[in-house]
Amino acid sequence: MATLELQSVTKRFDDIAAVENVSLRIEDNEFFCIFGPPSCGKTTILRLLLGLVVPDEGRILIDGQDVTYERPHQRDLGMVFQNLALFPHLSAGENIAFPLTERKEARSVIKDRVAEVAAKLHIDHLLHKPPAQLSGGERQRVAIARALVRNPLAYLMDEPLAALDARLRESTRVELKRLQRDLSHTLIYVTHDQEEAMSIADRIAIMRDGAICQVGTPDEIYNRPNSLFVSQIVGSPRINVIQGILSNGQFRAGNLGLELTCNGVAYNGAIALAIRPEDIAITDPGAAGALTAEVYEVEPLGGHTIVDVSLRDDILKVHLPGQPDFAPGQAIGLTLDGDHCYLFSANSGETLRHPV
Amino acid sequence: MRPSPAQIALRYVLIILATAIVLIPILWMISLAFKPYNEWQTAATGVHWWPKNPTLGNFEYIFTGQTEGLVVSLDFTAVRPIFASLLTASLGTILAVIVGTLGAYAVSRFKVANNLPLSVLQLRLFPPLAVMIPVMIMWAYLGMIDTWWGLSLIYTIVTLPFSFWLMKTFFDEVPLEIEEAALVEGCSRFRVFWKVTLPMVKAGIASTILFVFILNWSDYLMALLLTRKDWVTIPVYMNALATAMSGQLYGMKAALGLIAAIPPVILGLSIQRYLVRGLTFGALKQ
Ligand SMILES: Nc1ncnc2c1ncn2[C@@H]1O[C@H](COP(=O)(O)OP(=O)(O)OP(=O)(O)O)[C@@H](O)[C@H]1O
Ligand SMILES: [Mg+2]
Repeated sequence: MATLELQSVTKRFDDIAAVENVSLRIEDNEFFCIFGPPSCGKTTILRLLLGLVVPDEGRILIDGQDVTYERPHQRDLGMVFQNLALFPHLSAGENIAFPLTERKEARSVIKDRVAEVAAKLHIDHLLHKPPAQLSGGERQRVAIARALVRNPLAYLMDEPLAALDARLRESTRVELKRLQRDLSHTLIYVTHDQEEAMSIADRIAIMRDGAICQVGTPDEIYNRPNSLFVSQIVGSPRINVIQGILSNGQFRAGNLGLELTCNGVAYNGAIALAIRPEDIAITDPGAAGALTAEVYEVEPLGGHTIVDVSLRDDILKVHLPGQPDFAPGQAIGLTLDGDHCYLFSANSGETLRHPV
Repeated sequence: MRPSPAQIALRYVLIILATAIVLIPILWMISLAFKPYNEWQTAATGVHWWPKNPTLGNFEYIFTGQTEGLVVSLDFTAVRPIFASLLTASLGTILAVIVGTLGAYAVSRFKVANNLPLSVLQLRLFPPLAVMIPVMIMWAYLGMIDTWWGLSLIYTIVTLPFSFWLMKTFFDEVPLEIEEAALVEGCSRFRVFWKVTLPMVKAGIASTILFVFILNWSDYLMALLLTRKDWVTIPVYMNALATAMSGQLYGMKAALGLIAAIPPVILGLSIQRYLVRGLTFGALKQ
């Protein structure tokens, strides 16, 4: 129920800029993900929004109000911390009730609210236990419940599902997405799992070394990355990157014996050509226009298969549906379409052309 | 391999032996405390472990000043020194723990006074006498010799570094995020300290209290230098427990020693459940 905004915010710790000149606007009721590699400043952004750290430069606004120098308890935000930060001396129930008791709510109100969120998160039978006696997943739920028990302007969650195993994480993230829709609240969600970010977010901000690289919907991030870094950080398996020279619309990677025609780009010089694993096709060896390559390894994943193909001294990953029959060492043909490729400047990593 | 019965037996014998060696002085003191005069005096013939005729005479003597079989009566009973010890050691402990806790919290949580943790130790770097003689002179000037507040104050000062350092290590273990969570959930800075951090270091406070109290309770040097008569403490009084006629009153000393052992034991038992740490741990993901 609020918009959150950072305006040219910089925060340094001992000369290292944890967050550098970041401007972000998170809209009302948005499920907003911040995604990036470790130590890129994700947590610091949340701490800035919460008021736990004060920016060195820039302003922070909540609903258009400047709150840059307001204290945490004046901001009315709910938070799930990266390491959960449950109070060890209180039971799970008291932990969840804490935000309400601190705000001097009536006892009956507290009881009802705690019972309600506990039921929603399926932890009603654990309320009497201290955090030390809960499993990792249960603790995580208690931490989420402690944030949800109140009705703040926005929820902030710092990798709230990190302690869960993969299966539980998948089901919980769906629940979380539904929950956010039901509550119709702004939610900022930090994660270092690209699949999680892509699957639940309305919009994603990609961070690197304290700066925002790109902000967009999952579709924009995946299909229209603005840099090599963004294209590499989303998608599994990783996008294939081939270094080479582009001149007059012809891409040439000498070491791979690869030549491709790339339309719609006027750039001449060193570039990085990238192609998603699902855009490469495997054909019979010697088929017209195909490169000669060899199967390096096969990763059958049930519904689809990843085939690692060695092309001279490079290895490309190819994503194929079903369970095709390949054996390591087998000779195959590869077809790449220059128009399905992303082209990035080799120096700056900036996008020169998206697939056409 | 399971140890054979003989090995187990040997093990127990060794354990009992080791325990006995440690406990002999204490057992000896207990035994001595209940022996009548003719059994503990230096001229007594033969050494025996248990009193042949157990008596409470030694206790009677130090509390009332006289007892059957001893001609010389005591003109200064142990009642007042016991009270003096209890008062000054407790007061010194309470003050040292409160001040140490507050100081340790500030230094642990805020980037202030980075040199303070080491500098509070400087008092400890001198030989105690080198510090105590000037203190005695100062205390004399200030009229604090032989007063309960003068002795309590020096106890506070001397044990403050211990309580500060102990509490600092406990505070350092409380993760920052837990306090931040409380801040976000609506606590003011002081409420965070009072409602969240302090309960989390309860065990630490308990062990600090016990440690500091035992230091104060067993002090001899400071009480010797800073008291004369009114506020003489148990150790000083005990040293003076002798008469010209009968020499050192070992039985009475043992009786008083037994009494002096009671407060630390009671304190230790009453906070025992806090001494088991572990409450604080396991709340965070690894
Ligand atoms: N209080 C602090 N003092 C000093 N440096 C800090 C502090 N907080 C963060 N940093 C530094 O700022 C950088 C960004 O930290 P931050 O915690 O925001 O990263 P993150 O993206 O959340 O990483 P992770 O994915 O590991 O949680 C890191 O290099 C970190 O060492
Ligand atoms: Mg983080």
